[in-house]
Amino acid sequence: MTRAEDDGPESGGDDLFAAEYVLGVLAADEREIASRRIDADAAFAHLVDAWEARLSPMADAYPETEPPIRVKEALDRRLFVAEPRAGLWSSLAFWRGLAAASVAALAIYIAVPYLNPPAEPPRLIASLAADGSDVRYLAVYDAARREVGLSHVSGERAAGKDFELWMIEGKNAPVSMGVIPAGQTARMTISPAVQQKLAQGAVLAVSLEPTGGSPTGQPTGPVVAAGDLKSI
Amino acid sequence: MLKKVGSFSSTEANGAPGAQERFRGRNTLQLPNLGNCLIWQPMTPQDISNLIVRTSMKDRAAFDLLYRQTSAKLFGVCLRVLKDRGEAEEALQEVFVKIWTKADRFAVSELSPISWLVAIARNHAIDRIRARREPAAYIDAALDVADPAPGPEAAAVAGGESGRIYRCLDELEKDRAAAVRGAYLEGESYAELAARHDVPLNTMRTWLRRSLLKLRECLER
Repeated sequence: MTRAEDDGPESGGDDLFAAEYVLGVLAADEREIASRRIDADAAFAHLVDAWEARLSPMADAYPETEPPIRVKEALDRRLFVAEPRAGLWSSLAFWRGLAAASVAALAIYIAVPYLNPPAEPPRLIASLAADGSDVRYLAVYDAARREVGLSHVSGERAAGKDFELWMIEGKNAPVSMGVIPAGQTARMTISPAVQQKLAQGAVLAVSLEPTGGSPTGQPTGPVVAAGDLKSI
Repeated sequence: MLKKVGSFSSTEANGAPGAQERFRGRNTLQLPNLGNCLIWQPMTPQDISNLIVRTSMKDRAAFDLLYRQTSAKLFGVCLRVLKDRGEAEEALQEVFVKIWTKADRFAVSELSPISWLVAIARNHAIDRIRARREPAAYIDAALDVADPAPGPEAAAVAGGESGRIYRCLDELEKDRAAAVRGAYLEGESYAELAARHDVPLNTMRTWLRRSLLKLRECLER
């Protein structure tokens, strides 16, 4: 028969209110009050942070689950593809969109040779690049042919070195897809296991390896280019 | 009061101190080679902090990398709270919209980067179920949910920060500890917990408040 049994959420003081907010037990209207106070009241925000910190080790129990690739695609559309309105020519979004469109056009141009049998699984493309490196590849994944087509855009391999292509899925160890043959374009056949991962949106990466490829089965040199596969 | 990153949270705190020192000496905004730290080296909390800071400066590459590194954890949070794949996918999208637009808030938070991100996801998912559910409509659903949180033994083995909170939970009465865990991990409300444990709502409120105070006392001991 404590007082708290009959009192509203504020009665335990700010500290308990913060604790209840972090624990997640409050009703919708109480949560709204708390979240407004976090924005407006630094002292209250500090109490909330302290409870977040105390309880956060429990979050270790949340298992990691890779979200499907469509979530990131929808997110990108939502954040970065704004429809141009007034002041088209001065709109940053417009120019970004134009740049994206030219990349897409280039991708389609490169993908055309692959486009023969019309109705089958979607094609995925990736632009492989990295900061601090001039190596660039454009990769087109053709599910029907079980191939990744690569177009070498820039960057030379050093003497005695090869570029090796890797597939990385989530936080798993990279899987080698083989040494990239020298030349302007290359096609690499892929195994069914890799194929399935690629369809789920794995990342492609290129590393610099000794001639003939990594001796260990894992990348030994720097990643000179990498990118996400996106559907076109 | 504004201690930054790398401060707590079990999995993060024991990372190689040498590596963190090295990063600290550097300008935070220079991630040397995006490609290199990209994938097969697990990221340190300092790396994640860098990505959040760069995201606040609207650096898309950093944002993409942040998504790649943390979306699985945050999706796990959304799934566990919302228990519906479609809704969890939508929530995850909204969570990353928030991260993109509010990344500058990280600078004034006292949380470690992962805790900060998880807090955004948890709060968003909880707000969603509160908005979705009419009181009383969800009680059966809540009853069916098993509690896969690690038992005391597993937690003790896990050790570290996480082990400590579970040891402190063990000091509470069993059903109260279960209520705290259910509330935190599943986002259950007072009303749901009261129904599940078959006690009046205000009793549940009193239980949990006392449990929270005891937990704090134990954690600060």
